[in-house]
Amino acid sequence: MRRRERMLAGLDEEIRQHIETEIEDSIARGMTPGEARRAALRKFGNVSRVKEETRDVWTAVWLEQFWQDVRYALRTLRKSPGFTAVAAITLALAIGANTAIFSVVYAVLLRPLPFANPDRLVLVFDSNQREQDPFDGLSYADFEECREQNRAFTDVAANQEHQLTLTGVGEPTVLTTNVVTPELFSVLGVKPLAGRTFLPEDGKRGAAPVVIVSENLWRSRFGADPNLVGRSISLDKRPFTVVGIMPASFRSLLLVEHEDIWIPIVQDPMFGKWMSRAGGHWMRVIARLKPGVSLAQAQAEMNTLSARLAKEFPAENSGWSIHVEPLQESIVGFARPALLVLLGAVGLVLLIACVNIANLMLSRASARAREIAVRIALGAGRKRIIRQLLTESAVLGLVGGVIGVLLAYGGVHALSSFLPADLPRVQSIRVDARVLAFALFLSVAASFLFGLAPSIFAADSNLLTGLKEASGRAGESGGPRRARAFLAISEIALAMVLLVAAGLLLRSFTMLTSVNPGFNAEDVVKADISLPQFEYSTPQQWTSFSDALLDRLQAEPGLQNSAMVVPLPLDEGNVNLNLKIAGNPPLPPGISLTADFTSVSPGYFRVMGIPLLRGRLFTEQDSESGPRVTVISEALARRYFPGQDPTGRQLIFGFPPNGNVSREIVGIVGDVRDAALNQAPSPMMYVPFDQAPFWGGQIVVKSSLGAASVAGSIRHATHEIDKDLPVTDIETLPETLRASVSQERFRTLLLGLFGVTALLLAAVGIFGVISYSVARRTRELGIRMALGATPGRVLKLVLTESARLVLVGLVLGIIGALGLTRFLSSLLFQVHAADPLTFLGVAALLSLVALFACYVPARRAMRVDPLEALRYE
Amino acid sequence: MSTQEQKRRIELLQGTLDLLILRTLLLGPAHGHAIARAIELRSDDVLQVEQGSLYPALHRLIKRGWISVVEGVSENNRRAKFYRLTPKGRRQLTLETGKWHKLAGAIARILRPSEQEGKP
Repeated sequence: MRRRERMLAGLDEEIRQHIETEIEDSIARGMTPGEARRAALRKFGNVSRVKEETRDVWTAVWLEQFWQDVRYALRTLRKSPGFTAVAAITLALAIGANTAIFSVVYAVLLRPLPFANPDRLVLVFDSNQREQDPFDGLSYADFEECREQNRAFTDVAANQEHQLTLTGVGEPTVLTTNVVTPELFSVLGVKPLAGRTFLPEDGKRGAAPVVIVSENLWRSRFGADPNLVGRSISLDKRPFTVVGIMPASFRSLLLVEHEDIWIPIVQDPMFGKWMSRAGGHWMRVIARLKPGVSLAQAQAEMNTLSARLAKEFPAENSGWSIHVEPLQESIVGFARPALLVLLGAVGLVLLIACVNIANLMLSRASARAREIAVRIALGAGRKRIIRQLLTESAVLGLVGGVIGVLLAYGGVHALSSFLPADLPRVQSIRVDARVLAFALFLSVAASFLFGLAPSIFAADSNLLTGLKEASGRAGESGGPRRARAFLAISEIALAMVLLVAAGLLLRSFTMLTSVNPGFNAEDVVKADISLPQFEYSTPQQWTSFSDALLDRLQAEPGLQNSAMVVPLPLDEGNVNLNLKIAGNPPLPPGISLTADFTSVSPGYFRVMGIPLLRGRLFTEQDSESGPRVTVISEALARRYFPGQDPTGRQLIFGFPPNGNVSREIVGIVGDVRDAALNQAPSPMMYVPFDQAPFWGGQIVVKSSLGAASVAGSIRHATHEIDKDLPVTDIETLPETLRASVSQERFRTLLLGLFGVTALLLAAVGIFGVISYSVARRTRELGIRMALGATPGRVLKLVLTESARLVLVGLVLGIIGALGLTRFLSSLLFQVHAADPLTFLGVAALLSLVALFACYVPARRAMRVDPLEALRYE
Repeated sequence: MSTQEQKRRIELLQGTLDLLILRTLLLGPAHGHAIARAIELRSDDVLQVEQGSLYPALHRLIKRGWISVVEGVSENNRRAKFYRLTPKGRRQLTLETGKWHKLAGAIARILRPSEQEGKP
């Protein structure tokens, strides 16, 4: 910088002397002084440009000009606070929304899993060709085969979720327990906060019971006791030695909920049952690929294994095949379509915002035509003008971006409070460096988007028209006018696409929530009760607990209508089991019948309002000692007994390991959507709880006493039987129903919000275009009225112009929507992606809003006073 | 300056001005106006240099280290900046002159092809 000053010092003097010398020379050659001066100046060229170019030699010119432009831009933006505020806020809202949604998308879909070399981790799962949802765990036996017989993996681990009750430390609590094989921690490559992870010996049968505790539980329950490792804690009334503490950042991510503790799988009360080959496909298996082994190679190996297992164990394994999939994909894959749709939608909002601002800038550029014309006249080049105007938009873009990021912080906060709980990895959503980089990118990209066209038009504007136009009345040149019309049209079109998407989701959501679940949720309260299995280890204990609890509840006034059920529909998933029909010819290998299994106490159907269609319901006589019976759903009767009366027939099925129990069909009840509201009712088979008891389940009570009082009674009755039993997840059945569609509600709400924003922006946009056009045509309209045009005709004139824009926009929007909504189809329920009603409705809404936006300026046109307009100079 | 005169003059090729300045300074240090005059005179007024464009060029050459500046007194007894060729500039001049001759020869050959090809 110093050198620059030194070099440039005296430049002015040098140039002055140069010209003097030239003049003197010319005079000496006989020119008059005047002539000589003119000649010298001509010969020298533009003095100020020469100086500037010389200075430029010593400067990074662009930097200097850039700062100049930035300062100028800030000054200009400050001078028109109205424009700046509207543009910056529009942009901030759009960028804020985009940033917030991106932070969700990044955290859920893109961020690598928090394990060592996460891209080498795969989920190994079993798939049954017969089922719609080909996504099952492995049986324990198959897991062992897979662990022993592979060359593709460095290690393989299995895990299962369970709930254990912690007692002896304050109130009894149900802990979410990840039941694992010892390899899990080494497969994932995670280190404990204190102590150790499991050793291979911990996984051997007969090993002493050990447990690893999460940091959260360690802090909340054990007061961060530094001596916890080595101590014994009581789980399901059985002592376990704590060997390690895992950091709060660690989650295996396979459980939707957090994990409280980890125990070796051999310590699980269910382990013995899981061991048998028919023990059910419940093992989630994670493996780490050996270096250099591809996913395809691993898959090929699994194919060989599946084929061998199917041959060796046709009864259990035919029809099953083992698959591998990247772990990240298996954890987040299902959330992808909806999130990408949301990201696309919010991107459209940004696009509309940009179009809107481009429109504003265009109007403003016309108003600034004189300023720009003067700058051009003073020698500013075209590129320089474009660069300066682009700098202005970039400054605007960054201002919008900064406010947008602040909004995004709030938005992420607001979003996380109503994100569906079953969305994976929601805890890791935050505005971090990557998200900020994304916001910066958006701001810059957006400024180019809305800044480029206006600056090009501005820089190209004809000098003369520019200077003349300063009076603000001359007809606008064709370019900007067409550009403005084009912008208005694209806004309508984009808004149309977004609104159609929002409309489709909304219609789909209405369909979904108005669908009959097959039961009446009104006034029903449910609560989860889980019996500690070491203490309550026999089925007799389970039934006697259930009977005792129901007896107590039913003895209370107003609570007679209560029942026990495992599993409650739409709550925590369905249990799909194979079945055989006695008397039917044996099925060919590889084919089996399945239905959803539910164990219920006799009062269940009455509590839930599930209608009896034929035969009878369960009674107290259908007990452990009575003959085995079952009640089936209409769907099961229709599917497996077409045209026959199933009552009196025998079905053979059962909860593993008691799979082959013959039960007489005694009744048929109405269908229930048990898996999800958006899935057709599955065939269902109910058994009496006493004949198929579980270690707890859900209590359902229909009562007009109010949810709080019912919840209190359930708790009270339970603690009267065993004060150490935790009662959890108490909610009303309508709440359960609402929770089951929380993902759908979330995306519908967001997309609806985006749609409304798009509608408003489009309305503002078209309002701006028409107002501007009316303002510019004031004189023309005045002349028309002076020549006898009625106000009605003028109104029609303006509205026709608007209607044309709206119509073209709508048509383009419909075409765009038809092309894009098919990406929505996987999210829609009972609504076609090209649903004509939605398209028509949205088009009508959009036209109404747009025409109203035009009507306001059109009325102003109608009131133009011809005299005023003509005098308007 | 008449229109006819203007036609006779040739606009300088980009970068040629640098070469001309270096060549002029080979004869000894000179101030700005003298350099301009020298270029005009030595090209018999054929090369049209907008005199002002000399200054950015001079500064470019200083920046590259091919010439340096010294304070001096001009022939009409004024203090003036004199520009002088540096050893680096001298080397550059040799290099550029060689390149220029090659280029000029090549262009000449292209523009007069008939002398070689015309005779069967």
